[in-house]
Amino acid sequence: MKFSLPEIRHNQAGFEALITLQEQTKDCLFDDIAIDMGTTGWFDADMCAAFGAILYRMGENLNTVKLTNIRPNVENILSKNGFLSHYGREVIPDHWGTTIPYRRFDVKDDRYFADYIETELMRRSEMPAMSPGLLKKFRESIFEIFSNAVLHSRTEQGIFSCGQFFPARHQLDFSVADLGIGIRQNVKENTGLDFAPEDAIAWATEGRNTTKRGQIPGGLGLKLLGEFIDLNGGCIQITSDAGYWRREKGKTVAARLSQPFPGTVVSVEINTADTQSYVLTSELSEADIF
Amino acid sequence: MSQNLELSIFEIVGSPLCVASSDGQKVHDRLAAALREGRSVMLSFHNITTLTSAFLNAAIGQLYGAFSEEQIRSLLKVQDMQPDDLALLKRVVETAKQYFKDPQKFDQAVQEAQGDDNNGA
Repeated sequence: MKFSLPEIRHNQAGFEALITLQEQTKDCLFDDIAIDMGTTGWFDADMCAAFGAILYRMGENLNTVKLTNIRPNVENILSKNGFLSHYGREVIPDHWGTTIPYRRFDVKDDRYFADYIETELMRRSEMPAMSPGLLKKFRESIFEIFSNAVLHSRTEQGIFSCGQFFPARHQLDFSVADLGIGIRQNVKENTGLDFAPEDAIAWATEGRNTTKRGQIPGGLGLKLLGEFIDLNGGCIQITSDAGYWRREKGKTVAARLSQPFPGTVVSVEINTADTQSYVLTSELSEADIF
Repeated sequence: MSQNLELSIFEIVGSPLCVASSDGQKVHDRLAAALREGRSVMLSFHNITTLTSAFLNAAIGQLYGAFSEEQIRSLLKVQDMQPDDLALLKRVVETAKQYFKDPQKFDQAVQEAQGDDNNGA
């Protein structure tokens, strides 16, 4: 079977295009799937996380996946970040050091993920000179996203991540995708609330709402992430089931996608030129915590 | 036998990155064992560079499900924390207190959302 992929940007239309591919291929089994990327004139590298998740799912259904007619500019970036090495190409050196490699993790790979973030993101000399406070907050946010996938997705097929730094734009994009049950289903099973997919995402990012039940409390991860992004002047996008949710400059946009994504993608844009210190002005005493 | 126990998170986790709920569980298990025996615990965050709410919820937040606020306040102390990490821990603790002490409020939040949902339907 042959499918065509349009340009993939880090926005609602980009997710919609990947979901369309997922929908077209979801019933394929023992098939040869050729994805024609001749019309893919642009591919935002962090979207490899969501794309990789969809392709991995095709592989789990014992399909043979081939990416064909890849344009040189797209092939270049997707070879540098290692994505195409999963599909028969060689990795090429990233002399500018602007890619954050594509990786797949299992839910028990917390340590491996932490090493990846430290090695590929935090300790790279090519990374922008972010303030220590911003670096710390950024690192924590990335780990909150991964923890969220580990704790809530129930994925058995893994967690996928990829990123890209844009020096001229002072922007760093990073995405984490999972092939789990999605936020809507998670909220429904744990609280009985049957939201529309986009409303379930909004609910999960608000106040003290949590789907956690049992002995370990929850409900802070996505809220902390949203607070940081608001302060930083960046942007966060969440795609889960057929819901799309975006928060930028304190404003949120929610929309319904034409078909469901088979899991959840959390995507952040970090403003690397942010000079806030993130040092708290109010002193909190160690004696005043409990 | 010492009544006062000092636990190093770095020693328990073996890394400056305290991000996984499963690592938080290891810290929790030692803390809970000590608190059950009525021992005072000084929990050191020395050399810890990164914390997540998932780690702290597992390590400390879940203590509020088994011990009273008074027990925890009198027996557990923390040290060597940076101000922003202290602020995160405080939020985790406040969330945990609500989660365990006032489950009705959590349920109420759910019911309110359900009401909004129904109204909007």
